[in-house]
Amino acid sequence: MIASHPAGRRRVIDGARFFRLASLASALLVLVALAGILAAMLWGGWPVFRAFGSGFVVSADWDIGRERFGALVAIVGTFSSALIALVIALPVSLAIAVFLTQLAPSALKRPLATAIELLAAVPSIIYGMWGLFAFAPLFARHVQMPVSELVEGMPIIGTILHARVPSGVGVLTAGIILGIMIVPLIASVARDMLDQIPTAVRESAFGIGCTTWEVVRHVLVPQAGASLVGAAMLGLGRALGETMAVTFVIGNANRLSPSLFEPGSTIASRLANEFNEADGLHLNALLALGCILFVITFVILVLARLLIARVAVR
Amino acid sequence: MNLQPLAIEATPASGTAAAPRIVVRDLDFFYGDSRALKGINLDIGDREVTALVGPSGCGKSTLLRTFNRIYSLYPGQRATGSVRLDGREILGPDIDVNELRARVGMVFQKPTPFPMSIYDNVAFGLRLDRRLCAADIEERTEQALRKAALWDEVKDKLKAPGLSLSGGQQQRLCIARAIALRPQVILFDEPTSALDPISTARIEELIGELRRDYTIVIVTHNMQQAARISQRTAFMYLGEVVEAGPTSRIFMNPTDRRTQDYVTGRFG
Amino acid sequence: MEATLDTAMSIRAAPPSLVRRRRVADRVMKFACLAATALGVVVLGWILLMVAIEGVRGFSTALFIAPTPGPGSAGGGLANAMLGSLVLSMLGIGVATPVGVLAGTYLAELGGGSRLAATVRFLNDVLLSAPSILIGVFVYALMVRPMGSYSGWAGGVALAIIATPVIVRATEDMLRLVPSSLREAGAALGASQARVITSIAWRAARAGILTGILLATARISGETAPLLFTALNNNSWFDPSLMGGVANLPVTIYQFALSPYENWQALAWAGALVITLFILALSIAARLLLDRKAR
Repeated sequence: MIASHPAGRRRVIDGARFFRLASLASALLVLVALAGILAAMLWGGWPVFRAFGSGFVVSADWDIGRERFGALVAIVGTFSSALIALVIALPVSLAIAVFLTQLAPSALKRPLATAIELLAAVPSIIYGMWGLFAFAPLFARHVQMPVSELVEGMPIIGTILHARVPSGVGVLTAGIILGIMIVPLIASVARDMLDQIPTAVRESAFGIGCTTWEVVRHVLVPQAGASLVGAAMLGLGRALGETMAVTFVIGNANRLSPSLFEPGSTIASRLANEFNEADGLHLNALLALGCILFVITFVILVLARLLIARVAVR
Repeated sequence: MNLQPLAIEATPASGTAAAPRIVVRDLDFFYGDSRALKGINLDIGDREVTALVGPSGCGKSTLLRTFNRIYSLYPGQRATGSVRLDGREILGPDIDVNELRARVGMVFQKPTPFPMSIYDNVAFGLRLDRRLCAADIEERTEQALRKAALWDEVKDKLKAPGLSLSGGQQQRLCIARAIALRPQVILFDEPTSALDPISTARIEELIGELRRDYTIVIVTHNMQQAARISQRTAFMYLGEVVEAGPTSRIFMNPTDRRTQDYVTGRFG
Repeated sequence: MEATLDTAMSIRAAPPSLVRRRRVADRVMKFACLAATALGVVVLGWILLMVAIEGVRGFSTALFIAPTPGPGSAGGGLANAMLGSLVLSMLGIGVATPVGVLAGTYLAELGGGSRLAATVRFLNDVLLSAPSILIGVFVYALMVRPMGSYSGWAGGVALAIIATPVIVRATEDMLRLVPSSLREAGAALGASQARVITSIAWRAARAGILTGILLATARISGETAPLLFTALNNNSWFDPSLMGGVANLPVTIYQFALSPYENWQALAWAGALVITLFILALSIAARLLLDRKAR
């Protein structure tokens, strides 16, 4: 027979069960939050979608008094500033990632990586202030005015780069500031991806006599492949949803203008500016904008994560 | 040459013919769909050291891990057949595995001190039992550390982190941790393979002393170690127990050809 | 013998112009990468410098003691905003930490490979990068509208929603690094799974999880947009019930920076400096913590 064990009685397992449930509930909260955000936007924006239908997306109206709303200006502003940001940030981020992983002397690696991380930690409102008070005046004086004069009268460029009142703020400025903001994000993800490539692959490429650039271009980047696209999309997603930095420097105009030097607005900046005083259909229109933004960023972020996950080692 | 399924062939070295502590019959073990143990029959004798030896992948660790149901942590692993500890079936679903594991201690290959002080490491298992008061815990902790031949080295630094000890000391700490619960059986899974020769010798010495009070099963890929410290040895190959019996006989006069090949180093 | 050696070598020798071109391309790209990194460092320096210079100008003891001045009135400080931010951040982290650690624990230890766990993990990463302004709008609809007023509670909840995914990620990643042998050792002593997780795994992952919490705190300390619709702002000290607007630094800075008043603008810069220093301190502390653990 089994000898009775001295430490026989064990504690009641109910504590363990509670722990399991609490953990599961917490995990589900994440799903609830996301679903809640979408639900809130849909619920709030529904009257506007119903009233204007799909015309809401293509209308450039934004008349609060007469309650006519359209999302076009905000959507165009959101996309153009974000795309400008991506165009600027992508090469710079990749270059930084390459520098940090392949070229930097090991003594510099850590401090430089930390510097890039700090750049990411700076809150967007600081970027906004710097953008408005430091960057914009310089941009107006040294870029907007000379360029505007230069391209005066030219067919396409003349319209795109024309500044009626060169104040330094505008869609292009917002794009540049956004670009600077998303560089650390893309750079750090790209860096992780590049770091994960086994050293053996690198070394064998060097072994056959490739220059560093050739190794990067023909071996490392293709190897990291889709995940770098994913990194770029993460940056894009961030740029699309960014509020404070954009609100400071985009000028917040409700009109659609072909010029990049002119003020515009993004969905996020529109929300930031008008939400607190909005009421009735105006409020619904803003929530409808929010809904559109949520759907756009959700799709892009999901795609980005899928692309990264395919290559990344978890 | 062929082999018998394993009954006990001679009385344990300690002299008295005590009943076996663990009785294994027709044990099969599966990792998912693949069968790692086939029809194991084995007896583990009371208060002696039984060594499980065999080449890599023969299933000795797998067999060891059925004795304390540690495999139950992993959903894809399961065992069929019978393993009885002191007459009681431990593979059944109605067994309280936590209680089982308090009676069957385990020491792993790589020393695994918890991220806490030396004292807390040993007291960890004791604190799981609500009935022990602080004074009891303190007393049993000291006892365990003494038994593990570690007390003198750590008595002045019980608050120091367990990880600050050397490899050999960490392993003795893990042994103390297991002994503190006063188990009936202690399982050792290649306990010295990560240690230097001097630490290895100390642990082997410790095991030699421990066997007076505990039933010990040790998995080792080091045949000399098995020869040094065990009274009975079971040779395993490809998921089966090929031969089992008193250590001296297994090494000097094996009945099965495969056993002979292994102990003479024909294959490893 | 010699002939074959010659041929071999001549096949190998590339035209010198090609070699030169490759080398130049290599050089150019190396320089470009260096320039890009230097650009990043320069911009960081520029921003930090500007914040420091403009911010210090507004520094005084009054900054930390006096509440925000009304429009047009002179002097004043940011004390109420700083205190409000502290309270909101603590609320946010106070909610986010248990939820985040438990959720991360579920993903790493209890959920296994289940589809639910995979979905939660994936969507957690999406929530991590979601526009914070939308989170603010959500909490507005959830709490401010029904309660009828802005409140510190809403602000805290909004910040919690932003901080939680960071903590979930950190917790899960750190727990995965804990070797399974440690868990087995705990189980082998008869500890239940919950005990193994709380007493051993959490202990072992402690430094990493703490780092995640610090980083989450740094992240929410600078968030403006979600507070615009939840805690908004307040010209004086907040009500102890936390109902009504709660003064906080980011929204204060936003309002003051864009205002025409000089003292307000100076305060905005000073506030910007305070926030930046706080966030830098937290980031550096997090980095140090991680380094110490690695040692």
